[in-house]
Amino acid sequence: MKLLLTIDGRSESIDLISPAPGCRFQLGDAAPREANVKVAEPGVYTILLDGRSYDVFVEDAPSGMVVSVEGHRFEIEARDPRRWSRKAAAAGMGAVQSIVSPMPGKVIRVLAAPGDQVAAGQDIVIVEAMKMQNELKAARAGKVLTVPAREGHTVSAGELLATLE
Amino acid sequence: MFRKVLIANRGEIAVRVVRALREMEIPSVAVYSDPDRTSLHVRMADEAERLGPGPSAESYLLMDRLIDIARRRGADAIHPGYGFLSENADFAAACEAAGITFIGPSPASIRAMGAKTAARQTAVAAGAPVIPGTDEPVTLETLRAFTAAHGFPVLLKAVAGGGGKGMRRVDREADLEAAFLDASSEAGRAFSSPEVYVERLIERARHIEIQLLGDRHGNMVHLGERECSIQRRHQKVIEECPSPLVAAHPELRHEMGQAAIRAARAAGYYNAGTVEFLVDSDRRFYFLEMNTRLQVEHPVTELVTGLDLVRLQIEIAAGGRLPFTQDDITWRGAAVECRVYAEDPYNDFLPYPGRITRLTRPSGPGIRLDGCVYLGWTVPMEYDPLLAKLAVWADSRDHAVQRMLRALREYDVGGIRTNLAFFRQILEDPEFLAANLHTGFIEEFWKRRPPLEADAGVVAAAALAAALHATRAPSEAGSNGGAPSASAWRDAGRESLLR
Repeated sequence: MKLLLTIDGRSESIDLISPAPGCRFQLGDAAPREANVKVAEPGVYTILLDGRSYDVFVEDAPSGMVVSVEGHRFEIEARDPRRWSRKAAAAGMGAVQSIVSPMPGKVIRVLAAPGDQVAAGQDIVIVEAMKMQNELKAARAGKVLTVPAREGHTVSAGELLATLE
Repeated sequence: MFRKVLIANRGEIAVRVVRALREMEIPSVAVYSDPDRTSLHVRMADEAERLGPGPSAESYLLMDRLIDIARRRGADAIHPGYGFLSENADFAAACEAAGITFIGPSPASIRAMGAKTAARQTAVAAGAPVIPGTDEPVTLETLRAFTAAHGFPVLLKAVAGGGGKGMRRVDREADLEAAFLDASSEAGRAFSSPEVYVERLIERARHIEIQLLGDRHGNMVHLGERECSIQRRHQKVIEECPSPLVAAHPELRHEMGQAAIRAARAAGYYNAGTVEFLVDSDRRFYFLEMNTRLQVEHPVTELVTGLDLVRLQIEIAAGGRLPFTQDDITWRGAAVECRVYAEDPYNDFLPYPGRITRLTRPSGPGIRLDGCVYLGWTVPMEYDPLLAKLAVWADSRDHAVQRMLRALREYDVGGIRTNLAFFRQILEDPEFLAANLHTGFIEEFWKRRPPLEADAGVVAAAALAAALHATRAPSEAGSNGGAPSASAWRDAGRESLLR
């Protein structure tokens, strides 16, 4: 099966030709290769490829996966080209700006309500974690549409806090 | 010796103290806030008691409650760790008044070294060199008089300060007033005292500190230096012993050691303490401040001297004499420590608390890991993000750095973000390897750092694992599930290929 990958913002395609453990795959236009793949523990893949041994750690993140190999860290999104992509659809909508929490934390202030007209750079929500406060601002001027954020509630990274027109 | 010791702290340092107490066969009492109920220090201690809800002011900073718990539990001493109440003279005095030994210096010593201006005066009186600056809080007029006499750049600092709060660098007259008002208001918010003082700023200074240990019978030794020049926003990130500068100029250790002992003696100091110095490019050193407690980075000194500082702290507090003299102290090999934080270096170093879903710890020759992390633990969002201190020892600095790089490669923490990959980048930097260190190192490094280039094999392995992970069966997706069987995984692979 073919998947479209975005590796740190760069597009790549991968074709999984035969399943693990003797996994044949083709990366982009390169020649097909074979790797021996086993799951050592959930999210940990041991891969033998071209005579080398790689321990690969994969973690689900709000916008895809975070993959670590030998101290290198990649943000990778994978998508089936035959399926509808929420992200692509959202990108097409364009006009709505979403404010999401960049880190897990606690909402300590909500400074805007639906219907408010806000200026570019105005603080909308303040999230705090580990004694560090993060003021989340409007990227551009506009009307506040929704504010799912609630003071005192904890949020995870990537959680939607507010939407603006 | 003490019957029982209460640890008025949490996290890795509370674990460190429990370990020392257990080796000394002294029962330990842990205290905890609600989010820390399942933290490792609570699990490891012999006894544990709840303090209150998450915020420190309602838990770890409650002096009366801590003393009350110690009394009821029959603990005759309290170890304060670092942070929280460790440098609070009132707490040390309250312990004494309750007949409980505070494992640290006297309240008078903490006061003499507590306010930064008081510490400067103590150091000056003891003949320790200080950075040209004011010994009193400044007004805008006295600040202008200082810059007229000493020029720019200068550093404004909070009198009650710490951790870089209320600190401002000023390079020219035109910025002076705004910086002064800024620093005062920030100091006021952080320490409820808006007082600031001024020092000449030393460019490209190294941060080198001297570990001291004194008993209550008038004996005091220094245990050499630690170099902590690798800092971000005035917080130490990597520490080492010996300092590469001192290794190249061994006379500095004796000179700084003696200056530190003089300053500490002037404050009537006993127990463990650290005198911090800035060292300029001409190797002149200046007293910066004294920390009247155990330092976070004490393991590098322990690795190189072979001593157990926490055990010694406890023995000294119980009235023991130093079991050695200055001539007995030797330094062997080199140690490096990395502070592993729950933060994302690639997203503005934002903190990243959360549940640990995967954990592989480094081990093998020369590795020491002081942490409070276990698989399944949720790193609370209420406290500072220090997860663990990874320290290594080897026969030379070069070998210690190689060993650290090896250890970092073995270390994996999943579920949250950490700064592990960032350490690898710094430790491979030619300037770091050449030991051209100064407190602005990270800022300069961040601008010149090479892109994290991975070879094609690494990228291919990452892409393949991501593709297989994304197409695994839903039953394997739960983070709580055990390892899937090989056949289930194969079936899932086949299934996904059929889609």
